Amino acid sequence: MERARLVRGARWLERRANDIAVALMGLMFVSFLLQIAFRYLLNQPLGWTEEVTVLCWVWVVLWCAAFVLSNNDEIRFDIVYTLVPPPVRRMFTAVSSIAFVVLLLLSLPASWNYVAFMKREHTAYLHLRLDAMYSIYVIFVVACVVKQARIAWRAITGADEAENAETAAP
Amino acid sequence: MTMPGHFTLCIVVLVVLALLGLPIGLSMIAASVFYFIVAGLDVGTAAEQILNGLFNSYVLLAVPLFILAADLMNTGSLTDRLLKFCLVLVGRFRGGLGHVNVVANIIFAGMSGSAIADAVGIGRVIIGMMTRGGSYPVAYAGAITASAAIIGPIIPPSIPMVIYALVSDTSIGYLFLGGVIPGLLLGIGFMVTNTWIARRRNYPVEPAVPWRDVPRITLDAFPALMLPVVLLFGIYGGVMTPTEGAAAAAAYALLASWLIYRAMTWKQLYGVLLSSAKATTSVGMLIAGALVFNYVVTIEKVPLSVQEFISGFHLTPIMYLLLVNAILLVLGCLLEGSTILLVIVPIMIPTAKALGVDMVHFGVVVVVNIMIGLLTPPFGLLLFVVAGMTKQPLMAIVKEALPFILMAIAVLAVITLVPETILWLPRLLGYKG
Repeated sequence: MERARLVRGARWLERRANDIAVALMGLMFVSFLLQIAFRYLLNQPLGWTEEVTVLCWVWVVLWCAAFVLSNNDEIRFDIVYTLVPPPVRRMFTAVSSIAFVVLLLLSLPASWNYVAFMKREHTAYLHLRLDAMYSIYVIFVVACVVKQARIAWRAITGADEAENAETAAP
Repeated sequence: MTMPGHFTLCIVVLVVLALLGLPIGLSMIAASVFYFIVAGLDVGTAAEQILNGLFNSYVLLAVPLFILAADLMNTGSLTDRLLKFCLVLVGRFRGGLGHVNVVANIIFAGMSGSAIADAVGIGRVIIGMMTRGGSYPVAYAGAITASAAIIGPIIPPSIPMVIYALVSDTSIGYLFLGGVIPGLLLGIGFMVTNTWIARRRNYPVEPAVPWRDVPRITLDAFPALMLPVVLLFGIYGGVMTPTEGAAAAAAYALLASWLIYRAMTWKQLYGVLLSSAKATTSVGMLIAGALVFNYVVTIEKVPLSVQEFISGFHLTPIMYLLLVNAILLVLGCLLEGSTILLVIVPIMIPTAKALGVDMVHFGVVVVVNIMIGLLTPPFGLLLFVVAGMTKQPLMAIVKEALPFILMAIAVLAVITLVPETILWLPRLLGYKG
């Protein structure tokens, strides 16, 4: 029962993460269209639309990489990976994911400092604080570390043997 | 080079992580972080390079917008109507549906910038048409779909050209123009190949469409046909930048499928936005990784070392281009196209500049190479896409695609040796290269 509720909760969060990705993509598109319309049809260029568009682009990439994309949606070099038998593949996954987790955890304090350092800076038109805008990078690093740690754990314990076999074909 | 030991280790980490199956974008970030740590540099540079790089490269916005435009066209019924129109044009020749496939891709290329989107969008309909009643072998239908799809990013607009423009600092507008003739040459080449195979295997001719149906089919396809025209005139008439052209194309596709064809529900729109966001992220993560990794490559002065090394051989520009072709064709078998564009090509550019190779010529040659790489095993993204769609083994598709791949390489040789094939059109419209 408890587990079923957890799974339901995770699904719900997943859908909300998708909603945010869709909203960001839609907002990027709309603000870009507004920019074109104001510049060419009304001859009155807007500055803030360009800023919103660029912010959405950065957030879409890092947000989706953190919460929407699965490992298999990402571009990988999997020629060798698909050739080896499943137990070796699990070892591959465990080693690469652990290496990623360790390196990115080591980078976290410096990344945090860089983003925090930006608190004095603001965007040109909307005067948004740059540390808030850049915070998506820290969110991205933390989410990727958690995601890769989970992938490593599942590879070591063999939790998704079946899933791996299914996703072996690119 | 300063500290070659650290950089060598960084490359080892990158290659090992990527070989073990970690996504390439994440591998590049991790390897760069490793480099900053062992070289005793500020690790926060990774965050700085990724964030500032993504924020300040305005041209990159064309990437998500062109992805969105192609997705919208495929979801609304623009693609289907376009295919019906092409059937009227070339269905009556031997191997008619093969020609329809190529011509549809040429027209579609004028509004889409992604080969994968073209193969999925057009293939979804035409593979079914070609294999119905067993008139064409399934593998052949898949092979010609995959091959014709490479025309998409060669004829403007083009996502790979946007990425090349970013790494080489070349005008997107002139790059786009440079791709027009090579793209048409590929189209003609593929139609010749299709005719030759169709004659040998006696593939069918489609029944001629009755004349009284032609006006209706043309009218039906008209909004789809107008899109490339609007887009290209908009960009070259100086009305829009290529990035704005991408947004306009997406808006046009949305409006056409919504208002004229009434083929888009809110739920579909949500799905399109989500799948575009995902596709954008796949490329975006590579770009993010390349932003940090190329920073490392630059502070290690790798492109300069390569340039010094190559200059020792006293190559002529043509010899260098042939060498680049050979390297890229081999790499294309192993690596994904954006990775080559973002990591390998920047190393080749300074030498090309030093030898006096025109950057638009170089860019179009590079992009054609990368498109051929989408068709070459073991790692050819288009092969995977059509193998998945047709449920055929990869090697069956490769066997049928071979004549098309050879034809594409022949076209590549022509455009490499005769720069005018690429540069004539941009020069006609004001390019001073």
